[in-house]
Amino acid sequence: MSDPVIEGYAKALFEVARAEGSLDEVEDELFRFARSYENSESLRNALIDEMIPAGKRQAIVEDLLGGKSTATTVQLVSMVVGSGRGRDLPAIIDQLVERASSAKNLEVAQVRSAIALTDDQQTRLSAALANATGKQVNLKVVVDPSVLGGIIATVGDTVIDGSVRTRLDQLKARL
Amino acid sequence: MRMLYTIARFIAEKEPPSQDSEGITTHSAWFPEKSEIIYGTFASLLIFFLLYKFAGPFAKKAMAARTERIQKELDSAAADKSAAATEASDIRQAKGDIGAERDRLMADAAVQAEALLADGRVRLDAEMAELLARADADIATAKSRSIDELRAEISRLSASAADRAVAESVDDATHQNLVEAFIQKVGASA
Repeated sequence: MSDPVIEGYAKALFEVARAEGSLDEVEDELFRFARSYENSESLRNALIDEMIPAGKRQAIVEDLLGGKSTATTVQLVSMVVGSGRGRDLPAIIDQLVERASSAKNLEVAQVRSAIALTDDQQTRLSAALANATGKQVNLKVVVDPSVLGGIIATVGDTVIDGSVRTRLDQLKARL
Repeated sequence: MRMLYTIARFIAEKEPPSQDSEGITTHSAWFPEKSEIIYGTFASLLIFFLLYKFAGPFAKKAMAARTERIQKELDSAAADKSAAATEASDIRQAKGDIGAERDRLMADAAVQAEALLADGRVRLDAEMAELLARADADIATAKSRSIDELRAEISRLSASAADRAVAESVDDATHQNLVEAFIQKVGASA
């Protein structure tokens, strides 16, 4: 069951992004920022440390995203971090992505790949996942070097694992 | 006796009768008057008779009681002597029995000590065997654990080496091939 506070923040962010008319772009940027946040311990520590003043934490966000993301994305992340909810940032963003996908009758498909996928590959992968799951998907690609090679796709509760990492783990387990 | 009578008559004849202050005349300084002798004799006989008649039974009864008491004491002493002799005999017999019992107890103790010693040796042997078996088992366990740890360490190092080898060996073309293969496989799995 979702936290009402997280849902509240997700709804607010969603409404702001939709009002700004840049929902798709903001949603994508936020999603990538959430994954970076999860993978970087130092970033997490900086954004959730209560000893660091809120203004300074917001300045960190602006330094990181400024010039690389839309102003809306920067402001939304800054707002969440400034309100002391940095710890819940990934959950809030995931809720927002789900909400945005639901609004378009799409299912979020999180794809982890060792390399960045081309637009063509993303298009074909979306079609292949839609074909496999029977649902139209909102593809969210995360470049994750720990995958080593191949792709791990998660659509709802379905996980399709074609990664070298998993095969290597299976090999280790056999050893 | 005759001589005494003669002496007494001589003295009586030689001594003259004397008269006291009341005027009573005494014929002999040694013998009473004849009438006194007669009355005194009758009185003495009467007293002896009375004594015999009335005090005699009491004295006889007291003597009989005393005799009986003394006899009882003698009987009691004899019984005590007999009991003491019996007790002495019992003690002598018991002394003999105690010696036999002591010998029997010593023999029993020797047997029990021997049995305990034998049992102790058996138990000691068993404990030694158990300790040796346990030590062998501990050694085997430690050996197995060391082998397992070594195996796990080798596996971990192998896995780490495999990770590095795979990461270094997968070039861009291989990445692309893997991605394409995944897309085709997922697309064909409907």
